[in-house]
Amino acid sequence: MAATTASTTTSSAPAPSSRRRRRGRSVEGKPRVAVAFTVLFFVLLYLPIIVVVIFSFNSRKSLSYFESFSTRWYVQFFNDEGLISSLKASLLISTITMLGSLLLGVMLAIALERVSSRKARVVGTVSLVPLVTPEIVTGVAALLFFTGLGIKLSLTTVILAEITFSISYVAVIVRGRLASMSGEYEEAARDLGCTPFQAVRLVVVPAILPALIAAGLLIFALTFDDFVLAFFTTGVDPQPLPVRIYSEIRLSISPAINAVGTCMMAVSAVLLVLALIVPRLFGSKDSSIDMLS
Amino acid sequence: MTRRLDASTTRRSVLRGALGVGATAALAGCGFSSGDTASTSASGSASASQSPAAKAKVDGDLVYFNWADYLDPTIHDGFQKEYGVKIIETNYDSYAGLLAKVNSGNQYDFITPGSKEVAQLRAAGMLQRIDKTQLKNADEVFGVSPYFDNPWYDANSDYSVPFTMYLTGIAYRKDKVSSMTGSWNDLWNEQAKGRIFVLDEADEAIGMDALKLGLDMNTINPDDLAKIQADLVAQKPLLRGYSTDDVNNMAGGNAWIHHMWSGDFLTLVNNTVKDPQNYEFIAPKEGTPFGNDTYAIPANAQHPGTALLFIDYLLRPENIVKQINYIGYPMPTKSGQDTFAAISKGYPGTQISVADLSKPNVFKTQTPEGKAARDAMWTTVKAS
Amino acid sequence: MTVADQAVDAPDAPDAGRRRSASHTRLWGWLLAPPAIWMFVFFVCSIAIVVLLSFGHVNEHFKPVFGASLDNYRTLFNTTYATVFVRSLVYAMLTVVFCLLVGYPVAYTIALHGGRHKNLLVAALVIPFFASYLIRMYAWSTLLSDEGLVNQTLLKLGVAEPVKFLNTPGAVIAGLTYGFVIFMILPIYAALERMDLSLIEAGKDLYHGPLRTFFAVTLPSTRAGVLGGLLLVFLPALGDFVSAQLLGGPGTYMIGNLIQQQFFEGQNAPLGSALTVVLMLCLVVFMVFYLRATDRERRET
Repeated sequence: MAATTASTTTSSAPAPSSRRRRRGRSVEGKPRVAVAFTVLFFVLLYLPIIVVVIFSFNSRKSLSYFESFSTRWYVQFFNDEGLISSLKASLLISTITMLGSLLLGVMLAIALERVSSRKARVVGTVSLVPLVTPEIVTGVAALLFFTGLGIKLSLTTVILAEITFSISYVAVIVRGRLASMSGEYEEAARDLGCTPFQAVRLVVVPAILPALIAAGLLIFALTFDDFVLAFFTTGVDPQPLPVRIYSEIRLSISPAINAVGTCMMAVSAVLLVLALIVPRLFGSKDSSIDMLS
Repeated sequence: MTRRLDASTTRRSVLRGALGVGATAALAGCGFSSGDTASTSASGSASASQSPAAKAKVDGDLVYFNWADYLDPTIHDGFQKEYGVKIIETNYDSYAGLLAKVNSGNQYDFITPGSKEVAQLRAAGMLQRIDKTQLKNADEVFGVSPYFDNPWYDANSDYSVPFTMYLTGIAYRKDKVSSMTGSWNDLWNEQAKGRIFVLDEADEAIGMDALKLGLDMNTINPDDLAKIQADLVAQKPLLRGYSTDDVNNMAGGNAWIHHMWSGDFLTLVNNTVKDPQNYEFIAPKEGTPFGNDTYAIPANAQHPGTALLFIDYLLRPENIVKQINYIGYPMPTKSGQDTFAAISKGYPGTQISVADLSKPNVFKTQTPEGKAARDAMWTTVKAS
Repeated sequence: MTVADQAVDAPDAPDAGRRRSASHTRLWGWLLAPPAIWMFVFFVCSIAIVVLLSFGHVNEHFKPVFGASLDNYRTLFNTTYATVFVRSLVYAMLTVVFCLLVGYPVAYTIALHGGRHKNLLVAALVIPFFASYLIRMYAWSTLLSDEGLVNQTLLKLGVAEPVKFLNTPGAVIAGLTYGFVIFMILPIYAALERMDLSLIEAGKDLYHGPLRTFFAVTLPSTRAGVLGGLLLVFLPALGDFVSAQLLGGPGTYMIGNLIQQQFFEGQNAPLGSALTVVLMLCLVVFMVFYLRATDRERRET
């Protein structure tokens, strides 16, 4: 009987070494199902992109049957004045939106960190609302605002609407960065005789520079691709590229779209890679991913 | 003491904020006040329509607003080359879309409204007078048929130039569907369930069902509208979609039966598909809507001179022939009559003459209440 | 900041210190002014115009004018509009569910098993979402069409007839999920990164099963991330119209399509404004739920 009890005790309390081994397998080893699922996810994620890129080199006017390699759609794209002027328009809109929203967003973020009055808190909350508002709501509001005032819809109106939307993104990213910054350097600067603005300019801005770059590139990419807001606020000529693409998709089958799409994706990809790498180049320990989350 | 101050300060600041928002909003929305709208650029008072008509000369690039794929490429390039201007093209996919864009203040130089839209835009003062003496080829279309010299939608054709004539019918795949009856009921054909399209235009859909039920196409009678609504909603399970992209839907194989415009069908069989023998067009026996499109110049156009030159260019005999071949619609012009006869040979359903336009099956303008009722009913159908 | 000020000003009279921090705050107030004014004018006022116009109507020239009638709202109580709202809510909720079911495992795998390549994986995740949403949807609509590559493969594999993927509610929800899943993955990933992983190990000791541990330990710890993802997916999905337009059929009309139709086809801006107001009210309701949920969460942790 003693022997049985002894054996039971041994079996119910596994030796510490085997327990560690089991733990190690679950955390460090890769659970096959989850990994397979993630791989499948990435495949589905990139599938339409790959198809668009491949078929942009299709010699035939079809997204279902690949004939042979040809660059005719790129030639057509680059010779299409309407598409090219839309491309230029989108680049212009994205650049100005980026600069405008960076400026206003940084002002907002810094001011919100420094001022703690109720008014400031209200402004802070209001500035977060665009983030969760569906674009159609902001699009409708912007459209009515401009038509009500009699402002002709044009690139300018698109830019004004896009900046309004983008300030929130910049403010959130910069505030996150500011929050994780201690105020010591700024205080030290003040002790050494700087005015508040000098302290901001010489201490705070350089410290949040990586966040600024990440936010700027993010805004550029978002605005470049933004459809709904541009759709509601665009004028007649030139139209931003996504609006043009939408017309082409809805009204005619133009295979040049694949060429356009590939180019747009290349631009966005480059920008995002930059957004992720550049902050690290500035010696910042965090990458944009950490800043964005 | 501090707490009481805080409460009243909050109330005051909220009130101040609300007043500020309200005041700014009201100011900003002054374009939406009834009465004159001096601030909006698009809407005009009577003065806009009585201002001197433009002269035909190059005054900038042409901002062109039309259906997609509606301009023969050689005409497009030819005009650009001859006058040294660019054609900046945007497209609409429905007459309603055309009206919405023009009404929201966008500045186009050249638009192609249907007759009903011309009536509406003209009444709102949104079109400019077209001086026919500026068009060298005016006699191609004016003085040819008395109908267009003084049509119901535009007295003396002062604000529009006739463009195409059309009727709406049904196109179908002979090789896929064998149970067509030549009636509007064919859009409810069970054999083609899930492959039927109806045009995404309120007037066309309502008109089609009105004709099927023996009602007036332009009806605003609530009982009629209720019947039509029920019928259209019952049709939805059989439909693949509402779309004005009829050529692509038929050519791509998604559609076996399509509510279709006559000229689009001719484009489909003459210019698009490789097996035209599989396609057929019927003008249903209950009657079809007839209509005509026009060229028009909005009152707020920035380059009306170029627009006049463009209209004149389109009226050149050789270009009329090219256009008829490209888009498939007949035009009430001197030239091109045999061109159209040639392309519509074998498809009697697509043939339309000016005489048809005097029949009652033409879409007319309604009162705001009538239009609202029809629009509401159409929205209900689409949303069900 | 204020403490530092007072420390420096200690030798002076206390008033000077207070004065300096008062002007100090005023200076930051000036910094707050431009963005505040911008947001006020372009955002708050434009939303106010939408609300005001929703009480208006269309004049005899079919132009929108202000008014003071509830007609538009009365029209909305029509059962069809209610159906569209309910349908949009259902689609948005299903989208959230699918985003969660798909997004959580992906975030989990990358966060806990990404190893050295973690940042690269997240970048690879994010990049496609900033490449034209329209083109990706259009590509799917061609891939899934009757002659598309997917059906071609199925036919080769022996399926008898092409499967009708497009013009169905399923296609719309799939499109919405595809478009918004990144907004579920990123907050969950961030929450997982911030989580103390030893908790999982402790949980594994306690609960003995990976699934049990997940539901008892991991999920609750990442609740803030999940709630954030829920919000960031549900609200935009509710107002979307592109997916229904490109992938949907006649029976998949969403609020966004209704609103777009009123502004771009129906020429009835006041009715469109009323629709937008109702949509905004839905959002406010859900925002309140979200804030209450996160408040509770904050108070518990």
